[in-house]
Amino acid sequence: MRTVTDIITAENLTVILILLPFAAALGVFFIRSARLQSVVVLVTGCLLIASALLLIPLTPFQFSPRPILGLSLNTVVQSLDFLLLVIILYFGVRHRKVIITALALFQICFLAYFEFFMIRGHQPSVIFLGDNLSLIMILIVAVVGSLICFQAIPYMREHEAERNLKKSRQHRFFFVMVLFLSAMNGLVLSNDMVYFYFFFEITTLCSFLLIAHDGTPLAITNALRALWMNSLGGAAFILALIGIYAETGTIEFQKLLISGEFGQGILQLSLVLLCLAAITKSAQFPFQSWLLGAMVAPTPVSALLHSSTMVKVGVYLVLRLTPALNHTFLSQCVALFGAFTFISAAALAVGQSNGKKILAYSTISNLGLIFACCGLNTAESLTAAMLLIIFHAVVKALLFLCVGAIEQHIASRDIEQMRGLYADMPLTALITVMGVIMMIMPPFGMLLSKWMAMESAAANIYVILMISLGSALTVMYWARWAGTLMSYPFTGKFKPERQPWLTWIALGSLCAGAGLLSIGAPWLYLKMVLPVLGGQYLPPFSTHQGILDNPTGVFAVVPLSVVAILGLFVAILAVRKATDARVVSPYLSGSQSTTPGMFVGPLNRLVEAGAKNYYLSTIFGERRLTPWINIGAVVLLTLMAGGAL
Amino acid sequence: MTRTLITIIAALLAGPLLGGLALGLDRILTARLQSRIGPPLLQPFYDVIKLWGKEKIVVNIWQAFCAYCYVAANSIALVLFFLQSDLLLILFILAVGAVFLVVGALASTSPFSQIGAHRELLQILTYEPLLILVTMGIYLETGSFKITTVMAWDRPLLIKLPFLFVVLGYALTIKLRKSPFDLSTSHHAHQELVKGLLTDYSGPFLALIELGHWYEVVLLLGLCSLFWATNPAAMVVLVIGTYMAEILIDNVTARLNWRWMLGYIWAMGLTLSTLNLIWLYVS
Repeated sequence: MRTVTDIITAENLTVILILLPFAAALGVFFIRSARLQSVVVLVTGCLLIASALLLIPLTPFQFSPRPILGLSLNTVVQSLDFLLLVIILYFGVRHRKVIITALALFQICFLAYFEFFMIRGHQPSVIFLGDNLSLIMILIVAVVGSLICFQAIPYMREHEAERNLKKSRQHRFFFVMVLFLSAMNGLVLSNDMVYFYFFFEITTLCSFLLIAHDGTPLAITNALRALWMNSLGGAAFILALIGIYAETGTIEFQKLLISGEFGQGILQLSLVLLCLAAITKSAQFPFQSWLLGAMVAPTPVSALLHSSTMVKVGVYLVLRLTPALNHTFLSQCVALFGAFTFISAAALAVGQSNGKKILAYSTISNLGLIFACCGLNTAESLTAAMLLIIFHAVVKALLFLCVGAIEQHIASRDIEQMRGLYADMPLTALITVMGVIMMIMPPFGMLLSKWMAMESAAANIYVILMISLGSALTVMYWARWAGTLMSYPFTGKFKPERQPWLTWIALGSLCAGAGLLSIGAPWLYLKMVLPVLGGQYLPPFSTHQGILDNPTGVFAVVPLSVVAILGLFVAILAVRKATDARVVSPYLSGSQSTTPGMFVGPLNRLVEAGAKNYYLSTIFGERRLTPWINIGAVVLLTLMAGGAL
Repeated sequence: MTRTLITIIAALLAGPLLGGLALGLDRILTARLQSRIGPPLLQPFYDVIKLWGKEKIVVNIWQAFCAYCYVAANSIALVLFFLQSDLLLILFILAVGAVFLVVGALASTSPFSQIGAHRELLQILTYEPLLILVTMGIYLETGSFKITTVMAWDRPLLIKLPFLFVVLGYALTIKLRKSPFDLSTSHHAHQELVKGLLTDYSGPFLALIELGHWYEVVLLLGLCSLFWATNPAAMVVLVIGTYMAEILIDNVTARLNWRWMLGYIWAMGLTLSTLNLIWLYVS
């Protein structure tokens, strides 16, 4: 008789986390009833969330699966790896993209060399390894990912209705979305780099398929761009794999990291290549264009792949490698490069009025900050990096979903068109403003992590210069957006608009989740982050009464949250009391007419009064800045590579 | 515990008292520089009390929300300063106030208020990095962001951070809404934007904004005083000197446009900060 605890083992949960979405994806693909598809997605999402939560007490763990039906898992993964590359090759040939074809062939050749000549008969000792870093990612993928998939159900229904499709393509969409969840779970649990590479390539392919989903010429062009840039990352990864195996004889993260010397030579060069793979995956400069192009995809895709999970693979990889980077020139380069991306992407975001592009640049910018934290490589900065991964995933997913809901309502993603959205969609507008506040204000988690990042960067002048300028730019583009949403001469009572209930569930739980996680940040730090730092670093903070404290600084998370909640309460009371205040029309030099927003012009004609936002495109315009930023990024990448020689 | 409580109450009272007096002094001195007699010292208090008693008028109820948040953020920042907390955290909380002020102004559709709000954002963009770099300098000198450590430091910060003090002066000029940087709104309602970002705030809500500004002024002057924290008398002298200089600059300069502000302050401010930080880094 088996008890429940026998069934809930780390092995079984891992199998559920990886294989359940895979099976569900196949199910969704073959079920053509929209209702049944939704049920499958909902059930899968709930099971994933439950498994991820159950995994918390079982971490850390490690295991290698036994052969299935006489086939070792290695053989299966190897064959599937080649299959994947052949699919990518097929897309390259079909769309006549030489670079994709070339990169796919390159990867096939090197992978064949690696598999058949170098590691032939090599048996990895530990294939799957779950530590707290993997657990953080698993929780993000399972919880945030599932919530995004939930919202995708009503979103895609509306999306297809708008586009007047004769034949639904939702089965294809949800197939890739759910398959992606499986790949992400596999990726973050892989200890063997061949497995990691396999899942890495699946995410690339998923991203390609989802960007191209709408099938418009623009979507296909952008999807192909994403494919070649990510394939470049894949190619760098396979070269790094060969280099690492040749030097150390292992391709397991765990063994590699405890092996020690990474000083110079081929091993150092391999690390540079891994960083390059990470940089392409996280869409850092000069590879940012694929992420911006990816914004043509339906918004749940942007929320899932291009903000909260897939682009985090890059920073996850670098975070894994930080013990190897410690005290190297490469580490300093990564810090510099990350800080450079942080400020550059923030500057470009200031020049944008397209809401999704602002979110994309902000994502690139925050990933840059995480890179910078990894490069600084102190206990404090690594804590900041992990907290940033968590909070950014939740808050940015929330903002993307808000923009998705808004976009379907007003048929535009331009923030000028969102002017006064509060009058139209009060609750969505308020949740969006809340999301913005959680991005830039204390005591919320994003700012807590940024505070840690800044305090740990203080000793590095160039990094701190860029971070301080970048964070001011960040405040500028977020505050502008929040203000624009509220910009309406509002008088009436608060009455929430109608939205599908799944949308409210997704928005509500992400918003509440981000708030609660922020208050719980000290415990998040104790239970999740500290075990990752392990024995290598001294604990960067002491916690008492919800206050994070160390000799250099102090952040009273819980007391400040309590004060903030009280303040919010008072301010809301003030709003309620202000409803009985006399309402006047906005000041128009005393010549306002009785029609709101119009003033009496010459010859008593009514003229509309209006002001648009400052985008300062002469300074922060894409055309003006991008070439220089790309050059800067290439210079820094060259510096990084040169240091290894 | 009681000590903490007393400090909090002291901070909450000191903000309006000292801030109002500073503003009153400013008005008298400015008047004298312009060959006027000027109002009594307590005029700012009379103004705020009168505003508080006026009818509530709004163009958008979220203005009320933003006004309260502005006061709350600034007073919390000052309380943390009195509790000798983390400098960087205090700056972040101060930024919260600034952002709410902007959002409140953007909530009105009046073009005056809108343009004022955008100019305010540019001002934030200009001074925010400088203030952060000043705290970085303090960290490099004392090894901590905590004010407790700064107060215990046995040597005036000014000796090692002279350029950063100048940089703080730039930020202070913008924050105090003094010429040549009073772009978004100014104390004198004779600019092209009427009252800029405050155009559509009135009555009790304007009183709240004024109160919030007092907290801000006291905090920033407090930040200046940290540069000679070894001696209480020197602290007072340094603060009064700086404040006088600000009033003088206000009266001898004319307002400039945002391009000039951003270009000049970033060029000068960042150069001076970098220089000073490199000194600290080398020594």
